[in-house]
Amino acid sequence: MPNVENWHLKRDVAYPYEGHRPARQWAIVFDLNKCIACQTCTLACKTTWTSGKGQEYMFWNNVETKPWGGFPLAWDLRILEKLGRQDWAANGEYLGKTLIEAAPPTERVLHFAPKDEDWMYPNIGEDDCGGGTLDSGAHLDSLPHDKWFFYLPRTCAHCTYPACLAACPRKAIYKRPEDGIVLIDQSRCKGYGECVRACPYKKSMYNPWTRTSEKCIGCYPAVEQGIQPQCVVNCIGKIRVMGFISPPAVARADNPVDFLVHEKQLALPYYPQLGLEPNIYYIPPIHADPQYLEQMFGPRVHEAVARYKELHKDPEAAGLLCLIGGTERIIHRFTVKAGIAVGYDEKDEEILRVPVTETPFERAAFDEKLGAVRNNNP
Amino acid sequence: MHRNSSPLGFLPTRLLLAASSALWAACGTAPTAPAPVALPTTELTELAVNVVTADLSRPDPDAAFWRDVAPGLVSLIAQPVTAPRPEITTTSSIYVQAVHDASTVAFRLQWADTELSEAGHLGEFSDAVAMEFPMVGDKLPSVMMGAKDDPVHIFHWRAQYQRDAERGKPEIKDLYPNASVDMYPMDFKDAPSGGKDDKEAFNPGIAIGNPQSYSKTGVDEIIAEGFSTSSVEEGHGAAGRGVWKDGMWSVVITRPMVIDGGSTLAVGRPNSLSFAVWQGGKDEVASRKCIHMAWLPLKVL
Ligand code: SF4
Ligand code: SF4
Ligand code: SF4
Repeated sequence: MPNVENWHLKRDVAYPYEGHRPARQWAIVFDLNKCIACQTCTLACKTTWTSGKGQEYMFWNNVETKPWGGFPLAWDLRILEKLGRQDWAANGEYLGKTLIEAAPPTERVLHFAPKDEDWMYPNIGEDDCGGGTLDSGAHLDSLPHDKWFFYLPRTCAHCTYPACLAACPRKAIYKRPEDGIVLIDQSRCKGYGECVRACPYKKSMYNPWTRTSEKCIGCYPAVEQGIQPQCVVNCIGKIRVMGFISPPAVARADNPVDFLVHEKQLALPYYPQLGLEPNIYYIPPIHADPQYLEQMFGPRVHEAVARYKELHKDPEAAGLLCLIGGTERIIHRFTVKAGIAVGYDEKDEEILRVPVTETPFERAAFDEKLGAVRNNNP
Repeated sequence: MHRNSSPLGFLPTRLLLAASSALWAACGTAPTAPAPVALPTTELTELAVNVVTADLSRPDPDAAFWRDVAPGLVSLIAQPVTAPRPEITTTSSIYVQAVHDASTVAFRLQWADTELSEAGHLGEFSDAVAMEFPMVGDKLPSVMMGAKDDPVHIFHWRAQYQRDAERGKPEIKDLYPNASVDMYPMDFKDAPSGGKDDKEAFNPGIAIGNPQSYSKTGVDEIIAEGFSTSSVEEGHGAAGRGVWKDGMWSVVITRPMVIDGGSTLAVGRPNSLSFAVWQGGKDEVASRKCIHMAWLPLKVL
């Protein structure tokens, strides 16, 4: 089996096909400190792509509460349990096995196969706290306290080394060379469900009406026109930005995604130890259990949390965060100068410009012209 | 219907059977159950296909003439070559009979399977059986789905497809009676510009014409040139019908003797075939199957 380079794990990993990085790689960065679980993203995807028969249960984008939530049921615990304890070296190299390396000889990918009841509770565990038990009412009078939860919005990660693609016996799944989006060819799929079994993130879903498997398409029709996906542009919390991520050696500090992932090392892949080089990146929540975060995001998470806490001192990062959610278009380059953040499209034409600190307006309490007292309405 | 898994369910079923046979007797038309054919214990070395004077146009596992044809045992093992594959052999033998009427060949295939699986729900798979023939005939391709430029012709029967043919392709409400769906927006695409394509836009497999997404008649004809290459072809009139009873599948697949552009059988010419069985209840699908590891010579008499 070929070895391919996985920079999340700082080592080569086994993969059934040779590595061919796409010309550029679709990626989303999420700031988990800002997600409010409004599920607007979920519904934006649902109404755009999965309103057909057989897609009733599908949420290509879902938002679950950690630690107790999961769609399908306990997808994360079940695959972690199968993989067993694995370790990281102090230098950030992964010493354990990936799902492909840990597969028994009869399988291509170590996996668990979800049954239909596993897909029936998309909101299970919503808003349930982790961190100890309480006999009666709580007084959370010091920080940090041990009660925590956070919201985890998830799409397909359009992995560099997709397990779904590796597992498909019909080679019906392909990764587009132009943008790294992973698609299931709906004319070749025979509904064997091998991708549904193999994807550890459980982002490939079987359609019982068309009898083929379907998954998040990365909103490629929008992306081809320089527009970010539906779940990104509709995000109420403005927690998401979609762009293209470079491998570390060729990262550009003025590319929003590279800036957050490589330059500032604020955003991390989730469950990188599974070995797929997933391309959704999370700015970790700063008030969650550090051990839990380490399991989910790897050992670099503690530095990322510390850096996020210092972010207000970084005008460039603050500027970029102001651009996020400000435009539908994909920002290929950004600058922050003299308190103004500017985003540019692929042709390097300016697409938005925002002040990093908004100018406050003061209005007198009484409107002389209308002869009326102003309240807080605009 | 055939689930005698609970001891409580057993007694009423027996009573019901007794009552219904009494009724048949009263009408004077008691159906004659096909006499059980003794199953062989030694491996078949050549499958003889005898002529029958019977109507082979409709595949019938209970047809009387099967009682006169000795079944042959063909051993199967868990597909051992390509992952994913079963960990254990779930179906260790298949019992094979074959007859012809000069234009159609009928095969009756029987194997033990403790549960009937027709798929439908998420994460469920169907019981199935397949027969494979070399396309050319003289030179045998790899028994594992053929090889490049050495194709095989496969006849694939699935319990799920038979369910489609007999009871209709299940709607979501058939599969999940408690499902609540407000509406499928595309069903309201009645504007002058809203045609069939609009309505199917959210059924991607159907919209693109994937044979997988349409209601099936029972048997798929497939041409393959090695693993991962199979493609469902326009059928040549093959048909299938299976009955699951007492932990045993009995499936008849009929195919034309001569198929232009496909595998062709002829009297006196060396022919071969091979088999694969899937137990849906054991999550078998695609390469997760039990197969016969060699070509079995076939002699049309
Ligand atoms: S997240 Fe799952 S479905 Fe998406 S590319 Fe990765 S393995 Fe495939
Ligand atoms: S990228 Fe598009 S298809 Fe994928 S989850 Fe977001 S909205 Fe849905
Ligand atoms: S729309 Fe944004 S804030 Fe709302 S749940 Fe989705 S990711 Fe979170």
